[in-house]
Amino acid sequence: MVNAIETEHLTKYYGKSRGIIDVSLVVEPGQIFGFLGPNGAGKSTTIRLLLDLIRPTGGHARVLGMDVRRDRLAIDRRVSYIPGELSLYGELTGRQLLTYLGNLQGRVDEPYREVLIERLDLDPTKRIKGLSRGNKQKVGLVAAFMIRPELLILDEPTAGLDPFIQLEFEDLCEQARAEGRTVFISSHQLPEIEHLCDRVGIIREGRLITVESIPVLKAKARRRLEIDFAKPVPAKRFANLPGVEGVTVDECTLRCTVMGSVDALIKEAARFEVESVRSIDTSLEEIFLGYYGDGAALGAGKEAGHAAA
Amino acid sequence: MLLRNVFGKTIRDLRWPTFWVAFSLAIGGGYFTALYPTYVKAFDLESMMEKFPDTLKALIGGSDWDLSNATGFLNIELFPLILPALLAGFAIALCSGFTAGEESRGTIDVLLSYPVPRWRMVMEKVAALVVSMVLIAIAMLAGIQVGAVISNSPVDLDKVSAGLFLATLLSLDFGLMALALAAWRGNRGAAAGIPIGLMVVMYLVQSLSPQIETLRAVNPLSLFHYYLGHNALKNGLDLGDTAVLAVVVVVFFVASLVLFERRDLAA
Repeated sequence: MVNAIETEHLTKYYGKSRGIIDVSLVVEPGQIFGFLGPNGAGKSTTIRLLLDLIRPTGGHARVLGMDVRRDRLAIDRRVSYIPGELSLYGELTGRQLLTYLGNLQGRVDEPYREVLIERLDLDPTKRIKGLSRGNKQKVGLVAAFMIRPELLILDEPTAGLDPFIQLEFEDLCEQARAEGRTVFISSHQLPEIEHLCDRVGIIREGRLITVESIPVLKAKARRRLEIDFAKPVPAKRFANLPGVEGVTVDECTLRCTVMGSVDALIKEAARFEVESVRSIDTSLEEIFLGYYGDGAALGAGKEAGHAAA
Repeated sequence: MLLRNVFGKTIRDLRWPTFWVAFSLAIGGGYFTALYPTYVKAFDLESMMEKFPDTLKALIGGSDWDLSNATGFLNIELFPLILPALLAGFAIALCSGFTAGEESRGTIDVLLSYPVPRWRMVMEKVAALVVSMVLIAIAMLAGIQVGAVISNSPVDLDKVSAGLFLATLLSLDFGLMALALAAWRGNRGAAAGIPIGLMVVMYLVQSLSPQIETLRAVNPLSLFHYYLGHNALKNGLDLGDTAVLAVVVVVFFVASLVLFERRDLAA
C-alpha cells in the first residue's frame, strides 16, 4: 500500500536560518499520526513543504505516492489542510466560504457537510470576521472534513476549541481512520493528542528526533511522581533505584523523576505506609529530557525556562 | 453564483470599488463635458493658456491643444494626468494585493491547498481586474456623452474611446508592474510604491522633454510617451504606441506568473 506521507532527507533553509534539516518520515495510511514539537521546531515548515507552498532546499517529499512538486494538483484533490494560523475570507459567511471552497475542490459531500455543521454546532449564516477563534476553527474543520479526503493535514487544529468541540473533533478523526483515511496532526502539546494518535514523530530544532508508538514513547518518557507517606522516609532508600532520579524528601513527601517503568519505585514505597501517589502529566519537554539524557536535558530545561521567562 | 472560482470571487470582491470608481469617473467626465461651454466663455481659457510659459503648457498637455470643442477641453482637463493617475492608482492598489494581500492576510495557505494552480489564481484575478476596468471606462464614456447632450457640446466619441482605451492600457501597465513586484517579493508596500513613483517620474519626463534636451533621450522609456505622444483625443489611436503599451502589459503579466510560481509563499 502506498504511504500517505513519505519524506527523504527533506531540508529547508530560509536564507541562512534553519527550517528543517534532513527529515525522513513515513506515515502509513489509515493512521492518526501526531507530529509533535515545541513552537519553532519546524512543524509548519514540514507541512508547508508537503503542500508545495514552499520549496525544499534539499531532499524530496511524496504525498499519497505522488511528488509534491510535480503532482500538486492531483494531491490537492485528495488532501485537506488546515493551517496553523487559520485565516479565512472574513467578508464571507461560513456557508459562502464553504460553498466557495467546495467549488474550488470540485466535489463536496453536501449532506455530510450539513451533518458536520450540525455536529460542530456552527452557525453558517454569520460573517467569518465576526466569529471567535474557536468558531473560525470550526469552519476550517467543516471545510477539511466535508470532502472526505484521503489525507487530512491539520496544523495545530485543536487550538481555541472548547472541550465539547474537541471531543467532536477527535470523533471525526477516529471516524476518518475507521474509514481507512489518514490524519496527520501537528501539536506542541502531547496530552492534547496522545490518546488519539497511533504514532507520533517528534521534531526539535528542525530535526526529526524519533517516531514511536505512544506506549513506547511513554515508556521512554520521564514521569514526575510525588508520594505522600504517613511518616518521614529516608531518601537514600529511593536514590539508587533503577530509572529513578532527583529524589528529594520534604517531611513526609517524596518527589522524584522516573524514566520508563515505575515498578521498582512503587515496590520500594510499598514497604512504608503510603497515603497518596501523584503522577504529574508527562510534558513534551520531559519526553525530550528522556530522549536526550542529562546533557541535552539541561539545554532543554534552559529552553523551557527561557520560554517561561 | 460568483463563488464558483477565483475569477468570480474577485469580481465579487471588486464590485463596490468598481462601482464607486465608475460612478465617480462618470460624474467627473459628465461634469467637465457639461461645463465646457461655461468654462471656455467664463475664463476665456484659450487666450489664458496662450500666455502660460512653455513649461507650464507642457505640464498640462503640451502645445497641441484645441479648445474649439469639448473633446479638446477633456484632452486638457482630464486625460493627460487626472484620468491615468486615478485609473492607474486603482489598478496598482488592487494588483499589489492580488497575491501579496492573500499572503499578508494568510488566506493564501487555504486557497492554494485547493487544486488551483498558482498561475491560474493570478490569471483569474487579472481577468477580473480587466473586466472591472472596462466597466469603468464604459461608465466614464457614458458620463461624458450625457454631459455632452446636456450642454449641447458634442464630443467625438471615437477619439474619446481611443483615449480611454489607451488610459486603461497605461493603467494596466502600472498595475501589472505592481503585480509582478508583489509576485516576486511578496511585499505589498513596495509593490504599490515603486509603480506610483515611476508613474510620476515617467509623467514628468514625457511632459518636460520638449523643453529639456537631456530628457528627450530617455523619453522613449517613459510609458507616458506612448500614451500622450500621438495625442489620441486629437488624432485617434496610433498603432505603434498602442502596441508598446499592450506588450508591456503582456510582459509584466507573464513575469508575474513566472515569479509567483517559483517563490516560497509567506506563512
